[in-house]
Amino acid sequence: MDRNNPGGTGPVHVPLGHIVANEKWRGSQLAQGMQGKVKLIFEEDLASADFYLSSRSCILYITEADLVVGHGYRKRLVRVRNSGHLQGIIIVEKTQTSEQYFPAVQKFTVLDLGMVMFPVANQLEASCLIIQLVQEQTREPSRNPFLRKKRCVLSELSLVQTVQQIPGVGKVKAPLLLQKFPTIQQLSNASVQELEEVVGHSVAQQIHTFFTQSR
Amino acid sequence: SAVPCSHSSLLVADGHTAPRPPQEGNRACILVDSREITSGLEVISSLRTVHGLQVEVCPLNGCDYIVSNRMVVERKSLSEMLNNGSKNKFIEQIQRLQSMFQRICVIVEKDREKAGDTSRMFRRTKCYDSLLTALVGAGIRILFSSGQEETADLLKELSLVEQRKNVGIHVPAVLNPSKCEALQFYLSIPSISYITALNMCHRFSSVKKMANSSPEEISACAQVTRQKAEEIYRYIHYTFDMQMLPSDLNQDRLKSDACSAL
Repeated sequence: MDRNNPGGTGPVHVPLGHIVANEKWRGSQLAQGMQGKVKLIFEEDLASADFYLSSRSCILYITEADLVVGHGYRKRLVRVRNSGHLQGIIIVEKTQTSEQYFPAVQKFTVLDLGMVMFPVANQLEASCLIIQLVQEQTREPSRNPFLRKKRCVLSELSLVQTVQQIPGVGKVKAPLLLQKFPTIQQLSNASVQELEEVVGHSVAQQIHTFFTQSR
Repeated sequence: SAVPCSHSSLLVADGHTAPRPPQEGNRACILVDSREITSGLEVISSLRTVHGLQVEVCPLNGCDYIVSNRMVVERKSLSEMLNNGSKNKFIEQIQRLQSMFQRICVIVEKDREKAGDTSRMFRRTKCYDSLLTALVGAGIRILFSSGQEETADLLKELSLVEQRKNVGIHVPAVLNPSKCEALQFYLSIPSISYITALNMCHRFSSVKKMANSSPEEISACAQVTRQKAEEIYRYIHYTFDMQMLPSDLNQDRLKSDACSAL
């Protein structure tokens, strides 16, 4: 069987930093916009996808005409979604003519199929976006600000702030209580008598009520 | 006969101007940040009147919309996304949401056009494209909206999808005073969302019960992932060390010690 099966969703080899493009895009404005910035490899028989960014992610391009004509494009999306090993990124031409169809497409692709979708105004915008997508895929994940490791928070300060939320406890009593009962759990289990060693009778009562009262 | 009768009752139900809430409990609930009253009033009123959702305005502290136990939605104007100047602020905001929520969705909303204003032409920037691709790379969903009404529609759809996945919001947002005290306490736990704190308020019989729960129990009651539950568990069991407290607070305490000694 051919490397690219008739469904066009078989594994496609994409060298790093390259894009495998469907033959039909040869000479288009979109391809021209990308040339010089990324290397394009044209291949035939990519029935479902328009571009492959890697062997696991591909781009489906929906033109203004596709949107206006009807729901034909949906089959293509579903085929890629069901392939299992491919992440499909949908790029839609959102123009004055096709704008009215956009909400329905977005609901179908993003909310029903759970795929990623971007609107563009024309092929030139699409070429810039695709280049950006290639750059995102080839760079270190840690360069993505949304994938950075969380920094450690100072728990002592937040513990004091948590204890201050107990009625009757302010910024003076909170550290005193934590010195005697060093975890929230131990503080929650303290009896009124134990609490009275740190705070006065009425506040001790208040703290005990706060923890034990059923709500 | 029975048939026309059921027909007429259907008609009556349809004829209501205000959409009738489906059975209580099945009705989708969305929490809205009180700051959205100024910037997204039309979103809120559309949610209520057009879609008939239960909308609760709460002090969410910068989380625009909470549509389920695990998902937050950030509403962002297109012009802000295009502008390189507000990029860092946006990144910080998303990072903050990432510490609290399992799933994040950004709705990019087109700015309202003023009559005769042609200066605000949409010009796609590299900054915009790089933000979009970075968001997608981190698994954050993006939706595009043409205005506040469409944003409301998208919020409704998101909350329905989440509800179908059994993570819908099913606790009342209105609290009695004693629950309010507990809510403030839970909210002070680092990286906890408003809906998680609300779930804890309603599903733990007392704060003491919560403080003595296992990670499994926390996960079930607070409706959070196992990982998040373990984070909360570690916080509850974290041993306080006075030496680690920032010095200004320590000095406050010393002063107060001196006062009480006098």
